[in-house]
Amino acid sequence: MSSLAPFFAAVWAILWKDLTMERHTRQVLSVMLIFSLTVSVVFNFALGASALSADLAAGRNAAMGFLWSTILLAGTLGLNRSMGSEGENHALEGILVAPVDRAAIYLGKVLSATVFTLIVEAILVPVFIVFFNRPFWRPQVLAVLFLGTLGFVAAGILVASMTLHSRSGNVLLPVLLLPLSLPSVLAAATAAAAFMLDTPPPWNEVSFPVSLVIAFDVLMLTVGFLTYHFVVEE
Amino acid sequence: MIRLEALAKTYGLNPVLRGVNLNVAEGEFVALVGPNGAGKSTLIRIVATLMRPDGGLVEVGGWRLPDFAGRVRRHIGLVSHHSLLYNDLSAAENLAFYARLYRLPDREARVLAALRTVGLAARQRDPVRTFSRGMLQRLTIARATLHEPEVLLLDEPYTGLDQEASAILDELLMEEKGRGRTILMITHDFARGLSLCDRIAVLDRGKILDEVDRAQVSLPDFLAHYTTLTSRARRGEGPR
Repeated sequence: MSSLAPFFAAVWAILWKDLTMERHTRQVLSVMLIFSLTVSVVFNFALGASALSADLAAGRNAAMGFLWSTILLAGTLGLNRSMGSEGENHALEGILVAPVDRAAIYLGKVLSATVFTLIVEAILVPVFIVFFNRPFWRPQVLAVLFLGTLGFVAAGILVASMTLHSRSGNVLLPVLLLPLSLPSVLAAATAAAAFMLDTPPPWNEVSFPVSLVIAFDVLMLTVGFLTYHFVVEE
Repeated sequence: MIRLEALAKTYGLNPVLRGVNLNVAEGEFVALVGPNGAGKSTLIRIVATLMRPDGGLVEVGGWRLPDFAGRVRRHIGLVSHHSLLYNDLSAAENLAFYARLYRLPDREARVLAALRTVGLAARQRDPVRTFSRGMLQRLTIARATLHEPEVLLLDEPYTGLDQEASAILDELLMEEKGRGRTILMITHDFARGLSLCDRIAVLDRGKILDEVDRAQVSLPDFLAHYTTLTSRARRGEGPR
């Protein structure tokens, strides 16, 4: 246990630092919230217009896809900002010079970015319930949302760290991250949409997409843990 | 305390360090000078464990790099071109963050003492983004020495400082030297390098061209010697 104490102390230090910075500036959350709420309103109005001449229920059934699209894009913005603070003044090098396990840096950044994304989702889900009148509040839906978010952020921190000092890092992040996280996000959207049906399907019908999301989480976190020192060290 | 033998580093096909040999004894202050592109920053980044060497031996405090990088990191402090500080945190929060990373006891007292040492206690709650370059550099010294490292690595610490801020930095570095720290400093300011250090080493084209004892040379003599050395290196005549 004593050998794990420095590891978790470093994880907590990085989480504390990111939360303190956000408390001062609100730069990550404000960007993510403004973007995601704007997109939600646009989706809602687009659906309202189509409902005049088409099937409203069909549009509502696509609500989970709208939600995931919003989370992916807002999450990418948040990751850019979160890792961007490590690039200012080359602050990440200060952490790298300290006697800190690189996996602890990765875990700390994943935790802070997950917290920010979950806060945005906590605001976004009630908005989607109001706009689309679908049961986003069901525990299974929220559980899949959490698992999908974790995998997306785990992959995102890895990619954002790789592109941190590249000249076109802001552009590279979505170009690399969105295709990478697509398998997990598609599975999460499929499973969550199934859990929102009036008659939820039996477990064996959703077990595959849920397992895929969990497998992606495990894979990304493992890859991050094992390779983060290669990503951040020259 | 710092031992480099045949240190080599290549970027792609471009050799940056080509067999550097340099020893810095415990408590010694060595200035490393050389023209732009000589490999000075690469050398200090390798000693700071930020970069892996391609060949040769690097030891800090008897620990070989990169194998024992984790142990070495506890004993080094780095002041680089950049402050390595977070603009959106206050001075005290920045130091508290590093105190957490190094798991230092009596965190608050230590942070306050460090801020007092560099004359920033009155600005401890102000965000770093409001600091002048001189104040930023003083806070950078506080960050780099917060964990009382035996070895202090300085990469052009005077860049962008006015005369007053440079004089304050001089005082801080002399205090650090007085505490017995081993210091390796890259500088383009020969006068400052000679006034502070015990020894001055000239690096050019990835090789140490000469090492000069400060007590045995005046600034004009050193300047003339430096010009001769680097001119010969440019002509491809190699180190003496």
